Amino acid sequence: MKKFFSNPAVREVLRIFIAIGSALLLGFIITLFISKDPIGAYKAFLTGPFTKFNRFGDWIEESITLTLVGLSVAIAFKANMFSMGTQGQLVLGALVSGVVALYVPLPATLRIPLALICAMAVGFIWGWIPGYLKAHLNANEIVSTLMLNTIAIKIYDYLLVFYIKPEDAGYNVSAIFPPEGTLPSFIPNVPFFNNIYTLFTKNTDITIMLYIVILAVIVAYYLVFKTPFGYKLRMIGSNIKFARYGGIDTKKTMILVFAISGVYGALAGAHMTMGIQHSIITNISISMAFEGIIVAILARNNPLYVPLTALAYGYLRAGANIMERSSDMSREMIAIIQALIILFVTAEQILPTVQKRIEERKEQNSNKEESSLPDGGSHEL
Amino acid sequence: MASLVEMRNIVKIYSNGVVANNGVDFQIEKGEIHAIVGENGAGKTTLMKILYGSEQPTSGEILINGESVVFKSPLDAMKKGVGMVHQNFMQVPSFTAAENVVLGHEPSKGIGLDKKKAIEATKELSEQYGLYVEPTAITESINVGMRQRIEILKILYLGVEILIFDEPTAVLTPQETKDLFKAVRVLIEKGKTIVFITHKLREVTEISDRVTVMRNGKIMGTLKTADATREGLARMMVGREVFLDIHKKPVKRGQKVMSVKDLSFVSETGHTMLRDLSFNLYASEILGVAGVEGNGQTELVEVLTGLREPASGSAVVDEKIVTGKTPREVRQAGVAHIPEDRLSNGLSVSASIDDNLIVDRFFKPPFKKGLVIDQQVVENNGKELIKEFGILTPSGELPVSSLSGGNMQKVVVAREFSSNPKILIAAQPTRGIDVGATEFIRDQLVKKRTDGTAVLLISADLSEVMSLSDRIITMFEGEITGVFPDASKVGEEELGCYMLGVKRQTAEEMEALL
Repeated sequence: MKKFFSNPAVREVLRIFIAIGSALLLGFIITLFISKDPIGAYKAFLTGPFTKFNRFGDWIEESITLTLVGLSVAIAFKANMFSMGTQGQLVLGALVSGVVALYVPLPATLRIPLALICAMAVGFIWGWIPGYLKAHLNANEIVSTLMLNTIAIKIYDYLLVFYIKPEDAGYNVSAIFPPEGTLPSFIPNVPFFNNIYTLFTKNTDITIMLYIVILAVIVAYYLVFKTPFGYKLRMIGSNIKFARYGGIDTKKTMILVFAISGVYGALAGAHMTMGIQHSIITNISISMAFEGIIVAILARNNPLYVPLTALAYGYLRAGANIMERSSDMSREMIAIIQALIILFVTAEQILPTVQKRIEERKEQNSNKEESSLPDGGSHEL
Repeated sequence: MASLVEMRNIVKIYSNGVVANNGVDFQIEKGEIHAIVGENGAGKTTLMKILYGSEQPTSGEILINGESVVFKSPLDAMKKGVGMVHQNFMQVPSFTAAENVVLGHEPSKGIGLDKKKAIEATKELSEQYGLYVEPTAITESINVGMRQRIEILKILYLGVEILIFDEPTAVLTPQETKDLFKAVRVLIEKGKTIVFITHKLREVTEISDRVTVMRNGKIMGTLKTADATREGLARMMVGREVFLDIHKKPVKRGQKVMSVKDLSFVSETGHTMLRDLSFNLYASEILGVAGVEGNGQTELVEVLTGLREPASGSAVVDEKIVTGKTPREVRQAGVAHIPEDRLSNGLSVSASIDDNLIVDRFFKPPFKKGLVIDQQVVENNGKELIKEFGILTPSGELPVSSLSGGNMQKVVVAREFSSNPKILIAAQPTRGIDVGATEFIRDQLVKKRTDGTAVLLISADLSEVMSLSDRIITMFEGEITGVFPDASKVGEEELGCYMLGVKRQTAEEMEALL
């Protein structure tokens, strides 16, 4: 039994479950005080995403976004670079992919890849900037990325309002993308899959982005753990002085880390416009990019765990939304429960620290016993 | 009459087995300035930490005014009138000077700090002892000298009688040092007693009444400063047995492999740390650099290995200048480097042993295969080196942090030695590690040299330099003060005089030997 718990993978899963479990419990206690039907409300929260097919779809779509922003953050954090720039990259990725989807007169087979590539390119550039500033001018990445986020959002709003929005539109939103600029369903529209295809397309917007995300996870994992670049990234993350001493070009690597993180952020933006919204809307990112931080921290910045934590976290978010719609819980209370979950989940150090304390205590006690032995002996003399 | 402080038979053994103090008897008389000198690691600071209560002795007794005391913490010591002026200031940078002076013992007004009282108290103390500080100045914005005075006032505020200064001049400019000495004299006039830890002999003769010399955790003697000469003190400080168990085959030194010419380095703070250094390295030779730490050795190594850029001058390997190049370029020129601080530079402790062993080679085949790093090759490389260098670990996949200090250093040594360097720069290769690992690493260094590598050995451990080196240079204040072409023919006292700047060879004398 002891062996089972000392297995790092088991401990990891246990840690995540305990964090989420405690948050849920606390949330339930709050619900008890507030709701007239706490059981019903909480049931909606916990089982919500499986109660209707479109809800299931919402959950998966959101998890795709969360995975991409999570990867974006995880790659930077793994190198010990506290980039907050995912939001800006996401916004510009959404903008650029949307523009291509709207205006470039190409067939879908060319327009969609082009839109994705352009989004990735702009994410790369927007990530490169804070990387360069940090590497060569020692600019704090938290400040520079946050500033760049604001710039990106303003560019987005400006172009949307003054150029992209159709003149007759009542509010700030682009025209609906043509089918050539919309991501197709993840199930091919062939006779064999006909029934299931209509089922999914009717109720959900799960697109081929699902496959792209799977690929993105694998690429990120290889990049971080298998390639020479990943080695450099990890060494910089664990001890940048050692990396420099060992001959690693820390500046170049640092810049690339930021840029690659940007590619993932921008892909999330492309998913949101071309996959979910099918138009360019204002406030597209809301807080999605920052949710990426939670997903990444929960996954310990390991790209392989990111989709799992994204699914888990996405489930909680979807459930909370459903609870809001189907019970007497107010939006504010749900926000509090969500915040609690975030708090518990990000308090990742709690468990390891407690464990360390216990071990230290034990060690001290055994030391005391040892040192007290000779004293005991001398008494007998 | 009993001494003010008497420490009897103090023994301190750290949990890692290092014996810092080995049966020390030490007395302080009231109203004196008592200097403690010794090399780094001689046990001066440990002894004073015991007196100040921040370390507990393994055995031994402390008497103050003839009364036996036990200090569990610095607070206990302060209650008995003992305070320490730390080398690293214990201050809150964003607080005012006055706030820092009263920190921890604030005069209060309700639940808040009585700022007025704090400022008054600071002013009063400041005037009483001639230690000028501006009570309302923000600490981070004032100079080091004033920050040190805050540190002194802080313990005076608590009413201490005995002030321990731990290498107080290390961070000061010459002018600030003068001011400090003036202040120290005022403190004595006011009836305080002062202990002064240093390794600068000039300061000892200038300020102290008595001086105690420590070496290897023991007291070598206490004498009146008036009776001491700098040569005599140097001799007492550094004299040490030479290891007999090093088997060094005589080897004829080979070709010149590196030449350093007029190398200078200026630190970010504007201090000239290296002044026109010139010397050559030859194959099959260990060139030892002897010197008290902080005389430019660290900077010399960092400039030679590409971690810092020189202000002027150069080092040349194979007709190629290697100074001002990146660490990778320097490594590719055949220079390996055992850094003096293995934890911050030489290793990534949270990464695996295997990963630590490939930092200089992961980008080359066979480690790089196609787009990825071949994990099998990395693992085998780890296995081989762990076996060859006797690194005690069940697996190379474990993080370096799971190893003991000696085994951590073996990881560094394994990596640097296995790169088959032409030149090996080893800085403090055996610092803080156990006897077994020390012996192993010394043997390996000699073996490398016998196999034809040029070794530059920098060590604060003079006996290490003397027993391993073929040729020795001494460094003092960023300059080479002497060259000794045959290490076996020079005595430690002689070296000590050159290391401490008491003696100095002329440029002409040295030229032919460098």
